[in-house]
Amino acid sequence: MGFLAPLFLVGALAIALPIWLHRLQTQSSDRQSFSSAMLLETTEERVHLQKKLKYLVLLALRIALLLMIALAFAKPFLNRPPTSLTAGAAGTHLILVDTSVSMSRAGVFDQAIAVASQAVDDVPPGTLLQLLNVDDALHIGSSLSADKAAHRAAISELKVSALRLDFGRAMAAVDRLAESFPPPVTLHLISDFQGSAMPVRFADVVPSRVTRLIPYVVGTGSPFNWSVKYVRETAEGLDVGLMGFGDRERVADVELLLNGEVVETRGLSETGPVTLHFTNLQYEQGDNRIQVRINTDDDLAADNQWFHVVENEPPASVPLITLNRGGLPVTYLSAALESDAGQSYHVEPLVIGEFDARVLGRYRWALLDDIGAIDEELDHALTAYLQNGGNLLAFSGIRAANSSVLPVTGHRMSAATVGFGGNEFQSPEQIDTSHPVLAQTEGWHTVNVSRTVPIEVQAADQVLIRLENKQPFLIERRIGAGRLLLLLNGLDNRWNDLPLRPVFVSFIIETAGYLSGINEISKTYTTGASLPLSLVGNASGQVVDPDGNTVLSLADTTRAQQINLDKPGFYEVYTSQDNMLVAANIDPRESDLTRISQELLDRWQDATARLDGIVAGQPGTVEPEPVELWHWLLFILAMVVIAESMLGNTYLAPLARANR
Amino acid sequence: MLPSQSTARDLLHPEVLAGLKNLDLVARSVVEGFLIGLHRSPTFGFSQEFAEYRAYAEGDDPRFIDWNVYARTGKTYIKRFLGDTNSHLMILLDASASMGFGGPPVSKLRYGQFLAASLSFLAARQHDAVGCMIFDEEVRDYRAPSSRAGKLQGILHCIDSAEAAVGTRFDKPFDKFREQVSRRGLVAVISDFYCDAEDLLAGVRPLAWHGQDVVLFQVLDQQELDPQFGNNVLLEDLETGKAIEVAPQFMREAYPKRIRAHIDSLAAAAASIGADHVLVNTSDLLDEALRNYLLFRQRRK
Repeated sequence: MGFLAPLFLVGALAIALPIWLHRLQTQSSDRQSFSSAMLLETTEERVHLQKKLKYLVLLALRIALLLMIALAFAKPFLNRPPTSLTAGAAGTHLILVDTSVSMSRAGVFDQAIAVASQAVDDVPPGTLLQLLNVDDALHIGSSLSADKAAHRAAISELKVSALRLDFGRAMAAVDRLAESFPPPVTLHLISDFQGSAMPVRFADVVPSRVTRLIPYVVGTGSPFNWSVKYVRETAEGLDVGLMGFGDRERVADVELLLNGEVVETRGLSETGPVTLHFTNLQYEQGDNRIQVRINTDDDLAADNQWFHVVENEPPASVPLITLNRGGLPVTYLSAALESDAGQSYHVEPLVIGEFDARVLGRYRWALLDDIGAIDEELDHALTAYLQNGGNLLAFSGIRAANSSVLPVTGHRMSAATVGFGGNEFQSPEQIDTSHPVLAQTEGWHTVNVSRTVPIEVQAADQVLIRLENKQPFLIERRIGAGRLLLLLNGLDNRWNDLPLRPVFVSFIIETAGYLSGINEISKTYTTGASLPLSLVGNASGQVVDPDGNTVLSLADTTRAQQINLDKPGFYEVYTSQDNMLVAANIDPRESDLTRISQELLDRWQDATARLDGIVAGQPGTVEPEPVELWHWLLFILAMVVIAESMLGNTYLAPLARANR
Repeated sequence: MLPSQSTARDLLHPEVLAGLKNLDLVARSVVEGFLIGLHRSPTFGFSQEFAEYRAYAEGDDPRFIDWNVYARTGKTYIKRFLGDTNSHLMILLDASASMGFGGPPVSKLRYGQFLAASLSFLAARQHDAVGCMIFDEEVRDYRAPSSRAGKLQGILHCIDSAEAAVGTRFDKPFDKFREQVSRRGLVAVISDFYCDAEDLLAGVRPLAWHGQDVVLFQVLDQQELDPQFGNNVLLEDLETGKAIEVAPQFMREAYPKRIRAHIDSLAAAAASIGADHVLVNTSDLLDEALRNYLLFRQRRK
């Protein structure tokens, strides 16, 4: 027997308290001197003895109470003969097979399958067993049972995925699963134990509910591997980063494929990081498929190719809803949006009353030069557009100032006047720089505002800019799935000089990125990542995976929020607004096949066992297993408390009656 | 000047005597008070009571020559009184721990001291030789019998200095007493006699065989004779330290019977050897004890 926290035994000194109290109580009992006990009844002596005995029992119970508390805190345990694989003890055995990309290394996965089958065979008959496999998530291969045949069949079904393994996440998942299993839980971990799969904190790989970790290392030796680390777009073309692992020098060819055609081949003659520059690439309009392929006989073939998408889009159209096709707003906004080097836009004026509002559904975002100018029909159309995920940047011109209630938003005019009186100007003062639109813009304080549309700010509004007189200047409101940015001013020189200030261009470009969602869209992902469908379109669509299969079921086409990119290659995303190409690549960390050190593995094994109070041995060795006693102590403690209460109550009852 | 009768009777109350620090004064007050009451009594005489004549012999005190007889007969006769017949009183005072019980106002030991002092004073007044021995398990103090006037103060001091200490034994002190005293006389044993009657007999019987006239003053407190306890109480023996919890019902009903039986057994044992047994309650006046003593003395003549 031992104690996990022996310092708490100092608390046992507290038993001095009841002893002292009982001593006082004994001394203060109704004791009197008498000349001689010669003639006293001896039976009365027994009565006293009984009382004294009761007193001693009460004292003993109280001492036991304190001792139990001290012992419980000290966490005593008993060493029980161990339950080992060969001993056939009860408990649960989990066979966990690593199915991450690195396990696709030549011959490694076959070895893992063989080891897993052997582990199943070695478990004593009748022992509960479950097969699990892990990549970026934990998967259940078979149900918990003692049926070895079922487990062997499940093992044969295992396949390597294109996903990355993180031991920290894997052990956390095992821990959650083991919570419901009969203890002790023995984990047989079959893996190549990649060093890159270890989390930053060692403690994350130590499962608390696993009694024993038995590691099975597969794929030993000195692996050699080439992999593509990245593909970057440059002004001249593409840069391709390559990485070679291992000491052997191998010659490899690197092919660059553009839209399925090999456009260039390079030779590699040495390991280590290499960057290749590809220039003069002729992209087609739209999304271009870039594929980098390494032709080599290295140990891991899965990471010998890389997928990338290069956009070669014409300027995107953005509708500007206006009353005047040739007005200043068209000029100002066109100039600002076409100056964007990254994503140019073409402003497409839509004159109110001359276009079908249904065309708005084609655009991710739209512009409106005077929110007060729209009619009721367009009001409904814009509201529906916003509800369905469309985005709108609206200005407030002279017609908005003359309205009592703004369309779309329902804002009412406040008591403030449109003008500030005389030649007075106001400048933006309170600017919410945490907002994506305003984070990169500077120079708002140089803007002079002579008039504004005074509205009553509503609870759903987020005021992004206020003027010096505290009147709102720019507000944002979410309407359904869409966003509305409302500038409470028009693009009119008589109202302000904003379009003439540099801040206007940056504001419009940032707003375009924000409302179009282009800033949030990435074209390249690693396998295992999720692609949020809301970013690529606000309407239902379909996704085709690299194998040409549709990912979404018919029901999911309208309700799926995201898809998992679990295969390397190109995913085609089709929505009512756009078609998009997304590339998924194997996580480059899987390419480093360096195994963790034996010392670290031993420490992992020891730490897992030590959590349960024992020192782990090798698979099959006999080690004592501790049985913690504190919960039994608590049970006994509860019994002692009850007994003490009853006895104490019995003892005190006559005194209470006497006092009454 | 003698005190008035009522004042003298007050002096016999133990609580009054407890206020007197000087045992000599206590003894004097008790005896004087007792004698005043006794003169009124038609029953008892005292030492001046005539007993007999005998021929004057050389050495006799000439003050006791009856000159009237000499006038009528021409011969000298000595007039002898009752008090002159016994001239030897030995007081054995038990100073064991159990004698420390009792009170207020006085413990059994203090009452025994009053009694012993009074007896000593009374005996000395009758020209008896008086001695004392203080004992518990051993002989603590001993004063040989003497009739010399100055000896009384020493005896009173010996009695006064007795303190309740340890247990009681009668055999060992009494053996030593027999070794010290060769003359016959009166032996007054003052004790609570918490012992078996047989044990007491074993100690006292040799004295009787030795020719001593023994009177046993058994001093008990009222709480011993009629204990009053409202609740269960843990009683601790003063001599052995043994503690016994007793119920009030037992102390009310069974215990008085037991103490009565014990007293009776002691009285019977005393009678069996010709000794006298006098039960003294510490709440009683001292004259009753003295009266018993005189009766006993008178019977011994």
